[in-house]
Amino acid sequence: MHSESAIREPLILGHKTYHDITNDIVAPIENKAPRAWYVLITISSLIALYGIGCILYLIGTGIGVWGLNKTVDWAWDITNFVWWVGIGHAGTLISAVLLLFRQKWRMAVNRSAEAMTIFAVIMAATFPVIHMGRVWMAYWVLPLPNTFGSLWVNFNSPLLWDVFAISTYFTVSLVFWYIGLIPDFATIRDKVKSPGMKKAYGILSFGWTGNAKAWTRFEEVSLVLAGIATPLVFSVHSVVSFDFATSVIPGWHTTIFPPYFVSGAVFSGFAMVQTLLLVMRKVMKLESYITIKHIEYMNIVIIVTGSIVGVAYITELFISWYSGVEYESYAFINRATGPYWWSYWAMMTCNVVSPQVFWFKKLRTNLTFTFFMSIVVNIGMWFERFVIIVTSLHRDYLPSAWNLFHPTWVDVGIFVGTLGIFFTLYLLFARFFPVLALNELKSILKLSGESYKQQAQHHHH
Amino acid sequence: MSSTKRYWQDLAQLDQASEAIQGRDNEFQAPLPIDEMLADKGLTGATTGRRDFLKFLGFGLGAASLAACETPVIKSIPYVNKPEEIVPGVPTWYASTYYDGQDYASILVKTREGRPIHIMGNPRHGLNRNPRLDKGTINARINSSVLSLYDGERLKGPRKNELNDSARTWEDLSWADADKAISGKLAELSAGGKRIVVLTPTVISPSAKAAIAQLRARYGAKPAAEGQPAAGGAQVDHVQVDSISYAGVTGANLKSFGLRVMPSYDLTKADVLVSVDCDFLSSWGSTTEHAWQYASRRRPEDGAMSKHWQFETRMSITGANADERLAIKPSEVAGAVIALHDAVARKAGAPTAGGGMDHPQLAAAADALWAAKGKALVLCGSNDESVQVVVNRINDLLGAYGSTIDLANHTWFFQGDDAAAAQLVKDMNAGQVGALLIAGTNPAYSLPNAAEFKAGLEKVALTVCMSTHADETASLCQWVCPDHHYLEAWDDHMPKVGRYALSQPVISPLFDTRQWQESLVRWSGGTGSYHDLIKATWQGALAARADAATAPPFATVWQTSLHNGVYEAYTNPNTAVPFAGDAAAAVAMAKKNAGAGGEWELVLYTKEGIGDGRHANNPWLQEMPDPLTKVTWDNYVLMAPSDVKRLGLQTYLGQESPASVVTVAANGVELQLPVVPAPGQKAGTIAIALGYGRGANGEKVGKAACLPNDDGTTTPVGRNAWPFVTLVNGTASMAVGNVTVTPTGTTHPIAITQTHLTHMDRHSVVKETTLATWSKHDPKGTYNHQHELAVHEDVNEDGAIDARDRLPVKEFDLWEEHAVEGVGHRWGLSIDLNTCTGCGACVTACTSENNVPVVGKDEVRRSREMHWLRIDRYFSSDMTKERAKEEGLGKIDMYLDMEVPSDNPRVVFMPMMCQHCNHAPCETVCPVAATTHSNEGLNQMAYNRCIGTRYCANNCPYKVRRFNWFNYVTDKFADVNPAWSELGRMVLNPDVVVRSRGVIEKCSLCVQRIQAGKLEAKKAGVPVADGAVETACSAACGTGAIVFGDLNDSKSRVARLHGEERAYMALEEIGVKPNVSYLAKVRNTEETAEAHHA
Repeated sequence: MHSESAIREPLILGHKTYHDITNDIVAPIENKAPRAWYVLITISSLIALYGIGCILYLIGTGIGVWGLNKTVDWAWDITNFVWWVGIGHAGTLISAVLLLFRQKWRMAVNRSAEAMTIFAVIMAATFPVIHMGRVWMAYWVLPLPNTFGSLWVNFNSPLLWDVFAISTYFTVSLVFWYIGLIPDFATIRDKVKSPGMKKAYGILSFGWTGNAKAWTRFEEVSLVLAGIATPLVFSVHSVVSFDFATSVIPGWHTTIFPPYFVSGAVFSGFAMVQTLLLVMRKVMKLESYITIKHIEYMNIVIIVTGSIVGVAYITELFISWYSGVEYESYAFINRATGPYWWSYWAMMTCNVVSPQVFWFKKLRTNLTFTFFMSIVVNIGMWFERFVIIVTSLHRDYLPSAWNLFHPTWVDVGIFVGTLGIFFTLYLLFARFFPVLALNELKSILKLSGESYKQQAQHHHH
Repeated sequence: MSSTKRYWQDLAQLDQASEAIQGRDNEFQAPLPIDEMLADKGLTGATTGRRDFLKFLGFGLGAASLAACETPVIKSIPYVNKPEEIVPGVPTWYASTYYDGQDYASILVKTREGRPIHIMGNPRHGLNRNPRLDKGTINARINSSVLSLYDGERLKGPRKNELNDSARTWEDLSWADADKAISGKLAELSAGGKRIVVLTPTVISPSAKAAIAQLRARYGAKPAAEGQPAAGGAQVDHVQVDSISYAGVTGANLKSFGLRVMPSYDLTKADVLVSVDCDFLSSWGSTTEHAWQYASRRRPEDGAMSKHWQFETRMSITGANADERLAIKPSEVAGAVIALHDAVARKAGAPTAGGGMDHPQLAAAADALWAAKGKALVLCGSNDESVQVVVNRINDLLGAYGSTIDLANHTWFFQGDDAAAAQLVKDMNAGQVGALLIAGTNPAYSLPNAAEFKAGLEKVALTVCMSTHADETASLCQWVCPDHHYLEAWDDHMPKVGRYALSQPVISPLFDTRQWQESLVRWSGGTGSYHDLIKATWQGALAARADAATAPPFATVWQTSLHNGVYEAYTNPNTAVPFAGDAAAAVAMAKKNAGAGGEWELVLYTKEGIGDGRHANNPWLQEMPDPLTKVTWDNYVLMAPSDVKRLGLQTYLGQESPASVVTVAANGVELQLPVVPAPGQKAGTIAIALGYGRGANGEKVGKAACLPNDDGTTTPVGRNAWPFVTLVNGTASMAVGNVTVTPTGTTHPIAITQTHLTHMDRHSVVKETTLATWSKHDPKGTYNHQHELAVHEDVNEDGAIDARDRLPVKEFDLWEEHAVEGVGHRWGLSIDLNTCTGCGACVTACTSENNVPVVGKDEVRRSREMHWLRIDRYFSSDMTKERAKEEGLGKIDMYLDMEVPSDNPRVVFMPMMCQHCNHAPCETVCPVAATTHSNEGLNQMAYNRCIGTRYCANNCPYKVRRFNWFNYVTDKFADVNPAWSELGRMVLNPDVVVRSRGVIEKCSLCVQRIQAGKLEAKKAGVPVADGAVETACSAACGTGAIVFGDLNDSKSRVARLHGEERAYMALEEIGVKPNVSYLAKVRNTEETAEAHHA
């Protein structure tokens, strides 16, 4: 079935054998963690604890500890929410969409990208919950049968759609991720020597035997889940964008939002994958698996989605002029020239201008530059959400209500805190979970074919 | 056929079988096992014998009675013997009168379970009643005064101060001890021939005057007429001093007409009104009367609209309402008045004086005045007697006396005599005053020469202060005999000739206080109460009347007066009085007094909220945004934006943009205050509000006036500007020349509720036009243009479908209609931008009715004020869309220019509350359906269901939703929020829940009042009559700008107003279909605001 042109570079470098793969991936779990890991997890968990402290202070005291006001009722909270949801797009896109499209290169990156997705969605989901004035009533957004008579949730509200979209996305992503982990957990179970770890990974692997039937079912389930997950990749950020698109606020009320948000999400998701993988491949010595080719592919996705986002920005500007609507027109002029002009131009520079440098192959295959760019894109995408939320709200219809938003240390603390929690989770994942899909990787290792080719070349010479 | 169905338990009952009948009659169908129980052998074996049983019984009884003895008596037991007129849960309204020396109004006090909780103007009686609309006009100070009743820092009993002790200690006394000591001292002083002085603001109460007369009879050796020195021996004098002096006005009337009074003005008769530095709508004269009179001539639909010119230094509320406004310096006031005089005199053929100010606006105003001769009025806010004489002369030439000015029915307000007060201070320092009894005024704070007054106090043998607080004066007096709050006291009033009014207590005194008049009665040896004295005074006055024989009996008069709050005895015919003054001399004197202004000139003024400072302890008023600047919790220097820029000071004020502080110095007084840029302020002048800086020496003047610091000390809100007031020719002057203004380089945070000044030429927000345009009655084509969309059908029936086929946006609907149109009630408001003066009485009325929390300066600074109703104030800008088009200006520059108000802007006040949209954007986005639409068109909030996502607030195009960022009833807000303290909580309206943190709240259109009104109608078996239900804001609006009613009732006033050609919905084109409509602003000017500046 599988055919490949001889000149295409292999996806796994370094003449690895199946055994090498198992060793390489399981080694960090079996061995003692490097000092760097301890340093990193100490830092990130301290930041996480600070963030949790801020969250508890927020819940204990009131939303007033944030910088919000009567005009700008959402700012960093929902900016962070949308930002994290966006980041949570890459994993499932890589594993599900690329699986359906039979893109084999995904195998080296999908596991960690999916982990990133899970953690990012957890971080994202934190914000809509803690931004509620009465967080202890948060369960009221669920359509639970209740003792309040016929009191039911409001199915017209995009926030409610969010609840469904995010929870569905999270559930499917988690199941998809976990199903993929089962054979790898079984491999670890079989390899580790400590009885405790054997027991733990035995439980995690759900008694995987590795027989043909199990593998068949594994493949079938993966494909079915990929089929389910793929529309979710598009739906979840479309639904998030409805929070804004269905409103009456100039700058929010825009039909272009669903595709624009999805491409922006993929854009930022891939940037975050780059940030994480570039570090991980170095620290965990996975250069053979996560090759320059992977990095380049992902950079190409970044150019494409970045350009889509750029077109969307320009379309917005065009429509605001073309529509002739006074408020719409002002909203966009104000974005570019009003009190928050710097955030607009930060967004434009980071998201539209900077990814275009990836047209140069030299730059898109440069690891340091890619790392730098991944950070730039993530900053840009954070500003995009800030621009949409804060600059639209701060000057909407009645000039009497126009106002500015000033963040407090709690705003900053909770955002930084979620970064801390995210990295803590990711570091734990990198330490205890197989960071690459080792069994799937084996399917793209053409050991016999590659060695045959090499032998043939040797003969030729 | 009987419709009563009968049921049988079984067939036996149906058949009337004997067993069934027996069974029915016998309640216990099974035999009770009494015999078995008694036959139980176990009973006889019980160890408790008969004696023991009796012992236990005895002990039990004793213990129970002992326990009962110890049970505290809970005073909150609901009425066991229900008072006749009080039903728990049903409010009781009492008619009363508010008078504090500055404001006067007939009011209705709403009490619930014996607690006064809300005040509104009396819609049936009183000077402040708008007879056309049956509304009682009040201002924010008056309706907020109910909160001061529950001020925990009010004095709780008489005390004797230890004045030598810098630690401010005192001895609490009983009234008996205090009375004994004070009466004894008074007798001693009287015997020693010392002078006894009663110092008050203007007393308009005949009975209070009688009480003073009793004092005089008791202690004055030779009773003398008021103001006349007694011939030897002890003398009891009554000195009246008004914090805001009108001595110049009353003095001028003495010179011009022989009457030392403030006349009555009738603005309803004024076709042309010219005001020179006179803020008659907010702070000058009988404002509650002026406001409704003025507004009744401002609706173009109701006939000739008045034309109003304003010449003033700072932008006042009155100036903001004017048709034409010119900014002048205080030193130019006399010149402006002289110019008007000369222009009018020239036309009248009277002698002119020359030397007036030359300005085309003055000439135009004079022309208009002369053209409206007999229906014209000139008002002037100057307290310079000579200027006022010239003004009287102008009015005389214009034939205003007998028409717009009524001297025959003059007021009794503002009788204060600056010269007498100044003499008193001199006498005190000279040791010529034996006793000083102070009531209702705070001279140590508000006298221009307060320092000398304080020094003089030490030389007075007996000083007694009858104030409500241990304020600046009380803390320096030997004896403090605390006065009642006016809602606890009896009083009577004579506001005008022939007009009487009563104040009655609506609650038992909360503390051990006594009203000052009663104290005087006691010290005079009287035994009866002040209430008895009032009755006696009235009875006497009635008997002394010429028509006493035909007048109704006293009992009837008294009962009716008590019920109505007023007694209107008679009205004199308003006849012209000849002018007997010397205009030429007055002009000369006025010119001399005006002097040179110097580089900077300062005017002092009082704000709508705080007034002369007596209301500084009221958090509702401190948090009420100033109508023009929208600043709360501070006083400041108002400065023209051009001057602010020139001095390099902060031009934009916001949360993180504090105001620059400057030092203002004049006459040896220095004050550091923040600068607030004020469009409309005359360049080269500044203005500072009086009434702030209370409690600067740590006096307990009330919670909100003085905010605590972390270290236990307090910082007064604002700074005290009274020391700037000077006496010019014997009268207190609010204008100060030769002022220096020096930037200090420091900043001061300012809590401002509206950070953006202009309306950005958004015509669907604010619509305004001129009277000329309005008169063409083509609203759709001109000022009340409707947004339209082109449609693909032949709307105009010209046979072709093209861009000219358009339908108004209201024809388009994305949603299904709410089934409220034409079905049942549909509540709505109409708000007239013309008659709204911007006073803010509705804001505090709403706060009072709906338990709106006070959040304090720091939270307001963060733009988190909780007002359900705000008044948006928009200044006009020189830049408009039309002008940008003409000049070919780019959009970015155009918008930047639009943010800058004109130097002399036109002002629009736009009350903004929940618009109760029929397609409410907030309702669709709430995930838990906490905000929904009622079948009466209300957008309603279920606080208990709200989880606080704030999505609704974001999606509200009007930004009227308010979020509870914190729990405002916690210690963090103890110093500002009255709902925090047990006493302050008494003011809460029990019909409205206090919201918890984390929920959204907003205007409910006073749904509790709607429900009560519907209930009343249901009980009466009639439909809800138009006007039977009023929201707090509409009831507070005496000018009739806010009208509430049922839009489905085609005969209702609100439905009619919604149909007027001036009516428009704010932001109509976004299709939210509000139930609130606005009536476009019409100015009586020749040109449009835009054209004016272009």
